[in-house]
Amino acid sequence: MSSLGWFIGGPLVYFAVALFLIKTALLVKKYLDMPRHIRWDLYPLPHNGAEGSKYQKVDFGQSKPHSHVMHELWEMGQEILFIKKAYVNNPKIWFGSFPLHAGLYLGIIWLFLLVTGAVLELNQVFIGPNSQSLFSSLIYNATLFTGVGSFVSGLCGALVLLWQRLTDEGMIFMSDVISYLNLAVMIMLFGTGLAAWMTVDSTFAEMRHQMASLIAFRFVPVGETLVMLHVLALCSFLIYLPFSRMMHFVGKYFFYHNIMWDDEAMKKGSAMENDFASYLQYKTTWSAPHIRKGESWADQVGKGSPQEGGKK
Amino acid sequence: MKTPKKKLQIKDFGSDDTVLSPLEPGDLELLRDEKEPPKFKQIKPEILEKYDFSLDGFSALSLPIPKTKEEEEAIVNGFLSGLEKLFQKENNWGFLMPTTLSNEFCMQCNTCNEACPIYVESDRKDIYRPNFRPEVLRRIIKRYFSTSGKLLGKWVGADLDLNWRVVYHLAELVYRCTLCRRCASVCPIGVDNALISRELRKMFSMEMGIAPENVHKSGTVQHMKSGSSTGMTPPAFLDTIEFIEDLIEEKTGRRMKIPIDKQGADILLIHNAGEYMAWPENPAAFAIIFEAAGLNWTLSSAAMGYEGVNYGVWYDDVQFARIAMAQVQAAKDLGVKKIVVGECGHATKALITIADRMLVGDMAIPREPCLPLLEQIVTSGVIKFDRMKNNFPVTLHDPCNMVRLMGIIDPQRTILEHVVAPGQFREMPHAGTNNVCCGGGSGFAITNAHNFPDWRNNVASRTKAKQVLEAFKDVLDPSIPKYYCAPCSNCKGAARDALIEHFGFKEKYNIIYNGLVELIVNAMVDMPHPFITWEDEF
Repeated sequence: MSSLGWFIGGPLVYFAVALFLIKTALLVKKYLDMPRHIRWDLYPLPHNGAEGSKYQKVDFGQSKPHSHVMHELWEMGQEILFIKKAYVNNPKIWFGSFPLHAGLYLGIIWLFLLVTGAVLELNQVFIGPNSQSLFSSLIYNATLFTGVGSFVSGLCGALVLLWQRLTDEGMIFMSDVISYLNLAVMIMLFGTGLAAWMTVDSTFAEMRHQMASLIAFRFVPVGETLVMLHVLALCSFLIYLPFSRMMHFVGKYFFYHNIMWDDEAMKKGSAMENDFASYLQYKTTWSAPHIRKGESWADQVGKGSPQEGGKK
Repeated sequence: MKTPKKKLQIKDFGSDDTVLSPLEPGDLELLRDEKEPPKFKQIKPEILEKYDFSLDGFSALSLPIPKTKEEEEAIVNGFLSGLEKLFQKENNWGFLMPTTLSNEFCMQCNTCNEACPIYVESDRKDIYRPNFRPEVLRRIIKRYFSTSGKLLGKWVGADLDLNWRVVYHLAELVYRCTLCRRCASVCPIGVDNALISRELRKMFSMEMGIAPENVHKSGTVQHMKSGSSTGMTPPAFLDTIEFIEDLIEEKTGRRMKIPIDKQGADILLIHNAGEYMAWPENPAAFAIIFEAAGLNWTLSSAAMGYEGVNYGVWYDDVQFARIAMAQVQAAKDLGVKKIVVGECGHATKALITIADRMLVGDMAIPREPCLPLLEQIVTSGVIKFDRMKNNFPVTLHDPCNMVRLMGIIDPQRTILEHVVAPGQFREMPHAGTNNVCCGGGSGFAITNAHNFPDWRNNVASRTKAKQVLEAFKDVLDPSIPKYYCAPCSNCKGAARDALIEHFGFKEKYNIIYNGLVELIVNAMVDMPHPFITWEDEF
């Protein structure tokens, strides 16, 4: 048991965090390395502000496109923090999705507060119900609030979503095994956290102690079984997450900023123009009769269409 | 009577049922005054034997039923080969990122479902859910291209085995989406299910040579061969312009010379050539307005230079690029300062935004939509208008391509404020970027294979028909003439086929349809006769 606790409380955490960070970075890199794409805007674009689309103006190309950063930040904020589109367009799902995401956000803050508390404890500052300074008391109470809030909110959200996925005919129809697995991972993550807090770690002292050990590179076994299960759930989540579609938080950035809200026009002599000129040299291998297999895109276009059914 | 919903599972998408998910007339929610469900065209047995109708009982593609095992295998292999290319940068650099993202991050929350008028109007049949097609694709990719899918199959969601029916069902199914992208606009993540439809259309066309005949063979191929998707050659175009000059003389009492191939003009105006054939009053109205405003403009008589459409945008990147380049080349040859695209939604989007990043070097000629220019003319005071000449109820259709996909919302409304009698303009439900497609989008307006028009008119255009009735609900009395303004050629085609011919709106309610420029010219003070004559429309 103690060797298992040692493994879960030490090497596994490092491995999970490292894997998560590396895989996430690789995913971001994968999208950053993709060719710039053809315009595929979807309006309204928040950075257009109250004036709206540039296409509403004559000679729009001659004036500097207006950019309202605050409009965009406001729209992004609503979307990131409150999942506005789900609230507006699918309130039913929002009642599960919002608490689940709130649980995740609170959980991230909780982890940061745990790290802060652990660093303080490593420096002989006690963090607990009887903290001696206002700051340490604040850290303690904020950790408590965010931790409990995260577990309760996340668990409720995941259970609501699971209930919807088990009872709504449309959801049942569209769901694959992975949809249920994702929710199971969430329920385990928040459920074990809540159970550990309720039974054996009501001040998060055990978790803070564990965090301090990790920061100091002192591997110590997790003392309590439920806390160990929670750490195991957290590690499993971090290992599973980057391989799952729950990485949509990365995707969402690219969807919004690189596709829907990207109305950047081609400019003569720009890096974009150079990039696109180089893409036109890619040789395409599509096989339909109207395409000359193996020719570059520039030649496909420049030489026009081969006769239908003729020699490719 | 509605048919009981068949319990379908995604893994059964390739089942050999005669019809996988039949759509029956009784499934449709009738409009007011639609006394009984419509009748769908009966397909002759010899046609049913030859072509595949097994998705929903309709066919947009005339896919020949394979006769041998080898033919079946060729379909599957062609599909897998195409799928691989769809995710290679050399073959799909233009849409690799959006396609990959939409393929990877759908959470199956179904938020997109109710945004889709086709899903809603089909009595919510599962196969028409906007996220259904991408999910089929996802499961195929997982099953045949991922290690986890190959090893663990259904345990990781890779539960759909590929056969020729899956391929055919999917090919037909991507032509049950108008690419309006309303689904994408409501997705909390940004997943674009319409894009997946488009990309699959592209894969079918560019790898397997599968596309609706009206869109490909008598569409883009004819466009490049004759100069126009209508088949109108340059000499025929010049004849048509003469006819339009006659029409203008008849309407205005004045002979006008429409400028053709004027070197160095400020503006090359490029129309959807369908306007010349079906609605010649539209290019005539443009000519009247531009001349009255004193613009330095021209039309081009070069092949491709007088045709604004680009059907490639719906289904084929190579065809799209060829047409866009040829159109810009026509402008370049004339040395014009900019291209202005007439009242055609997809042509506007295709040339102005979609082609934007393909036009490198000296091909980057400025391109603009017509609506802001018209707004500038109307509000400048250079032409005098009498709003009371348009003293009848008017509603406005927002073409998806111009509004949701380009954000052009205000100019057309400002114009209507200036040329329609006070109190006569009324918005349609969901006006603006939340608009609903006319039902003719993405080539549906010109796709006429077999019984497909029945599906288009009854399913794809039904919400629009309801919206028009809602907009005119207080003036439905046929003694009151009403105008459905659709500044887009495809949308007008859908209005003609669905609203007027199929639902009988002219006959029942005295609703006519046409573009925006006709209303502008009709309100011009110095027009001796009404430009819009109720009896002659359509």
